[in-house]
Amino acid sequence: MSSRFRQLLNDVRDPNGSKEPADAQFERPPGGGAPRSGLLHGAIVSGVALAVAVGLIGSSVKSASRRLEARGSTGAQKVATAQEAEVAYCTADFKTVLERVLHSCGLATTTERRGCKPADIKTFAAIDDADFNALFQPLKERGGVIMFDEGSDVLDEAGQKLLDERWFARQGARYFFVVARASRTGTPDQNRALSHRRANSVLLHLQQLGEDSEEELNQRVGLLWLGNEYAQLTGDYCAWPRSREQAPCAEEPINRSAFVSWVDCRL
Amino acid sequence: MNRVRLFAWLGVAGALWGLVFAGISSLDYASHLDRGLHDLHCSFIPGAEASPVAEGCRVALNSPYSALFKQQLWGGVPISLFGLGCFSFLLGHALAIGYSGPRTSRGAGVLYALLAGSPLVVSAIMFSISWFELGTICKTCAGIYFASLVLGISALGVLVGSWGNRESLSGRSFLLAAVVAFGMLLWVLAPSVVYASLAPDHSSLVTECGQVKVPKESHGALLSLPGKSPRKHALFFEDPLCPTCKSLHERLRNAGVLDRLDVELAMFPLDSQCNWMLDQPLHPGACAVARAGLCAKNTGQFMDWAYANQEDLAAAAKTGGTLLTQFLSRKWGNELTTCMASRATEQRLNRQLHFAAANGIAVSTPQVFIEGQRLCDEDIDMGLMFALRKLAPELLP
Repeated sequence: MSSRFRQLLNDVRDPNGSKEPADAQFERPPGGGAPRSGLLHGAIVSGVALAVAVGLIGSSVKSASRRLEARGSTGAQKVATAQEAEVAYCTADFKTVLERVLHSCGLATTTERRGCKPADIKTFAAIDDADFNALFQPLKERGGVIMFDEGSDVLDEAGQKLLDERWFARQGARYFFVVARASRTGTPDQNRALSHRRANSVLLHLQQLGEDSEEELNQRVGLLWLGNEYAQLTGDYCAWPRSREQAPCAEEPINRSAFVSWVDCRL
Repeated sequence: MNRVRLFAWLGVAGALWGLVFAGISSLDYASHLDRGLHDLHCSFIPGAEASPVAEGCRVALNSPYSALFKQQLWGGVPISLFGLGCFSFLLGHALAIGYSGPRTSRGAGVLYALLAGSPLVVSAIMFSISWFELGTICKTCAGIYFASLVLGISALGVLVGSWGNRESLSGRSFLLAAVVAFGMLLWVLAPSVVYASLAPDHSSLVTECGQVKVPKESHGALLSLPGKSPRKHALFFEDPLCPTCKSLHERLRNAGVLDRLDVELAMFPLDSQCNWMLDQPLHPGACAVARAGLCAKNTGQFMDWAYANQEDLAAAAKTGGTLLTQFLSRKWGNELTTCMASRATEQRLNRQLHFAAANGIAVSTPQVFIEGQRLCDEDIDMGLMFALRKLAPELLP
């Protein structure tokens, strides 16, 4: 204890020079210097406790500072970010074809005319008919086949209903595909034009819903019209969700259709 | 054993107990200065293993009452540090009284009673806040409350035991009392001063979490929470069943910040029922409650209600039946539940989720953008007031 502090204690204990303490707080115990020793012990213990506490806190704060610096130099922690959906069927092959078609058919940019005719698809997809159809197999539950009358591009009530159902079940998808076809009845030129009109009927209905601007539809809806020249559907597709479910179905009528589906792939 | 001595030793034990718990609490607080999320030692047993859940302690840690000077220092100065200094001092003081024993004068007893009783007063206040405001008691805090109670009993015991030792008080007695009281003040402040002087500066970090990419939702699908006197625009992504969102909402409301904000709200339920970004529902039922929020006539009122009843809503949702719908319709009517099931509502919620995807926000809630500047996740809890002061001081009272 410093002499100045000791002096203060002595002054307080005996302000009048008396041997008796003026303030019994630091009174002597029997046997001598115990009160002073008690005060001393108390002060030492308080000091040590504070020193230990402050040391620990200081060390913890410094340690946190070092971790903060290290964190800054190693970059921010990786966290999942919100994105459009990507599901299991988005294989590399599927995405390759999808990407080619999207870029080539004008979805990736808004300046080009949207849509792909059969010749384009053959060129850009660069796969044969069966492989092309196989890519869409996983979309059986997600998509739907909108059926048309022979030689017609009129979207009937059942077709509109199915289209609406599919369109509003977007979930996390980025692209909506419309793949229109025609049966083998008629010439390839006529069928090419017919399937184009069918694709446009679907698009027109989506526009009439008024939910999205033209620009948004341009960026979201992929139109493919295949006529009867490429990737014709087999009769197996009659088992897919389709409008006119009660109507007879075979290879001819199932190709008088537009297949529609959201595609849950990121590109 | 003499009564004064007995109660003084009780005070020593109480101070030691308080020292341990205030130390644990302060160290837990200090560890978060690295902006990371750490486990908390939330137990009545000193030295028990830290827990990642520690719900009551986490609530207390993130509450506005856990620290002072939160606007000036990231996270503020934890009040447990004041306790740490206080218990350190009282440990020595109780020891000195213990040595003095039966010769302790009335004046010394009164002084000890005042000083050793002070933690009990503070603890009583903090306990009330914890119980009535936060609705939970943090176990580490309870350790401090208990230590304060023991010291309070010690204070009373020493006071009663020394009452008979009357002595004439002189000016010097008062001077010594003042020195002792001042010493305690120094002890109380010392850990806080050291903490504040060593704490890292987070100023540059609060603006490093990016900007909004797509500020507007083109279909007008977002909700509006207009403040009474808005000074800044904010974009919130919230999940009505997310406890952190609730905590943030309440803290902003209580601090008057929501009144100064013009908030656009996008629902971002962490529920795989509608949110494709999750494999599992983190908050089951959140999609349904989010749809209810979209249908409510007054979004602000609905969100206040949903957050206030969050636990009940979550419990109802977990039953998996119609309980949640019944709960909602009982409060808001059948009109709301009919609207919830509509295609338009589903479409609107889907648009909000796509808006989140377009902005590439983190798949966690809440996400907050003030005038386009993202509030870092790390700043949403402990550093909220500090970050707000840096980003938009106009929002603070």
